Amino acid sequence: MYRLALNMLFGDRAKLAMLLVGLSFSALLMAQQSSVFFGIMSWTYTPMVNIRSAVWVSDPLVEQVNDAQPMRDTDVTRVRSVDGVAWAAPLHTSILQARLPNGNFKLISLVGIDSDTFAGAPAVLTVGRIEDLRLPNTVLIDEWGANLLGRPETLADGTVRQRPLGVGDTFELNDTEARIVGVCRVKRAFTGGPFVYTTYDRAKAYTAGVRRTLSYVLVEPRPGVAPADLCARIEAETGLKAWTSDTDLWSWGERSLAKSTFWWFWRNTGIPFSFGTAVLLGLFVGIAISGQTFYSFVLENLRYFAAIKAMGAGNGVLLRMLLLQALAAGLLGFGLGVGMAQGIGRAMIEKGMPPFVMYPQVLVATLVLVLGISLCSALIGMAKVARVDPASVFRA
Amino acid sequence: MPDPTSIRIRGVDKSFGAGEARVWALKQADFEARPGELIMLVGPSGCGKTTLLSVLAGTLTADAGEVEVLGRRLDGLSQAELTAFRRANLGFVFQSFNLIPTLTVRENVMVPLLVQGVAREEAEARAGALLAKVGLGGREDDRPGGLSGGQQQRVAIARALVHDPRLLICDEPTSALDKDTGQRVMEMIRELSRSPDRVVVVVTHDHRIFRFADRIAEMEDGRIRRVLDDPSLIDSPSH
Ligand SMILES: Nc1ncnc2c1ncn2[C@@H]1O[C@H](COP(=O)(O)OP(=O)(O)OP(=O)(O)O)[C@@H](O)[C@H]1O
Ligand SMILES: [Mg+2]
Repeated sequence: MYRLALNMLFGDRAKLAMLLVGLSFSALLMAQQSSVFFGIMSWTYTPMVNIRSAVWVSDPLVEQVNDAQPMRDTDVTRVRSVDGVAWAAPLHTSILQARLPNGNFKLISLVGIDSDTFAGAPAVLTVGRIEDLRLPNTVLIDEWGANLLGRPETLADGTVRQRPLGVGDTFELNDTEARIVGVCRVKRAFTGGPFVYTTYDRAKAYTAGVRRTLSYVLVEPRPGVAPADLCARIEAETGLKAWTSDTDLWSWGERSLAKSTFWWFWRNTGIPFSFGTAVLLGLFVGIAISGQTFYSFVLENLRYFAAIKAMGAGNGVLLRMLLLQALAAGLLGFGLGVGMAQGIGRAMIEKGMPPFVMYPQVLVATLVLVLGISLCSALIGMAKVARVDPASVFRA
Repeated sequence: MPDPTSIRIRGVDKSFGAGEARVWALKQADFEARPGELIMLVGPSGCGKTTLLSVLAGTLTADAGEVEVLGRRLDGLSQAELTAFRRANLGFVFQSFNLIPTLTVRENVMVPLLVQGVAREEAEARAGALLAKVGLGGREDDRPGGLSGGQQQRVAIARALVHDPRLLICDEPTSALDKDTGQRVMEMIRELSRSPDRVVVVVTHDHRIFRFADRIAEMEDGRIRRVLDDPSLIDSPSH
């Protein structure tokens, strides 16, 4: 009987197509919007990914990584003296205006790293060597920023393209020259423009006038010391705030700065609301379209359901038939919708805009919601079928 | 002692609506049918034929009276018990065929067996055998929509008999068909349903098929007016 239930639905191509449109659109909207949401949220803790350090120490007032509070230079030494610290290095982060050769101003994210250890340096340099930062007035710039700060040029064949900044190009930060000696590849960020890396000491020159330039102390624990334990010790001994750097949404610990950043953005921005709205919209559109379509499928087949009832099928059998029909449509719609979301997502990842992170958890949640929608549809239909009178089969 | 093979209805009332709008579809109706016979219910429109049929099919509960079908008292049974009773004992042929358009002919015929929980392979085989008997061998995988009215009603007959029910109920089985087709369909019902322990009740307006009946019960105003043992004795219908 249940196989017949499926054949009944699949025999009705038009209804099935409508159902699949509704369900797959809903799945697409929910999966795609959630993935862009997690993509954007992952940008909020980009520094944690780019500046690879096991432990971060900050001013106690810091709540999220993009909003560093100035610390005293002596804090580095205080942290170094805590038991379990292998080494500690200063880090500067700030947002500055860069004056480009053509006179334009652009905002950049300045990162000053310790010139002895190069702690916090980008993982990948596509051009140049990190040691070149020890030369006077030198900086690294990230690929995306190099392109952004470049300027259009006309090629011989007349086409115009953006000529990225490269090694040897210069710009000015607070009237001080910055000469590019390398190009790095880093993850894009939510705040701030292109990343410009320099040494911690030179960052002081570029931010002339700022009294305190220490934003974070990057700490490497001694082998065998757990970062979270070290954090607790640093906090107890220095009164500063210490963070771990785990960035995996599903496993990050209590002390993760990425986690704190994520929830800070959750609380203080409209991002969760606007994406939550889109996901809810997907849910409602799904319920509306598939509920309505399934209901009209049931209405159209009501006399046949009545006939099946007359032939001795109870409400339980009919309910299971409807559930099976709805869930089968739900599964197909989920597959189609998520397939489309993944297609779109792949295109997005290639362009990097908007950011797109499709967690398996999002897929599971989407599946649950789509099946929930199907379930609702089946129940809406069942309300009708349960009430149909088997005696009605004799009325033409 | 209840007779396990016959139908006996005594003093059955059935009304619809309430107050001013109340309509008595059955008033103190008595009716009997014997095993092995094909009995026709005839009478003017609105006299209660379909209502009586529904009561003895267990799809409608009477307001009062005794309803004994195949040895079971249906009055007083719960909905679930009535459902189980129909599942085990009834076959239906409807005026408008009621074949599920999105299923194949064979699948339509399998429905009563599958509802009974018969395994798919067996249901397929039995449906195929009966379709061959009604002359539709080779059309098993067609959709009902591709068949003529007469062919569709033959599918419905196969569906009504595939599970070998002891009571076959037909409401206006020929009224959607032309004269010749109607005759052939009725012949088929007559021939295939004939069995010493099966009762066949046919409601009809169509006097051209009266000759297929063993007996004819005439209804009027919610009750049986008379029962004719010889169908040729019935007056030509006035409506
Ligand atoms: N579900 C219902 N609700 C209200 N009235 C009903 C209902 N079913 C039947 N009736 C009424 O009961 C009376 C008997 O109806 P029934 O359908 O049994 O007649 P019938 O003899 O089958 O008529 P026809 O030859 O037109 O099919 C009619 O007056 C009809 O209007
Ligand atoms: Mg009728």
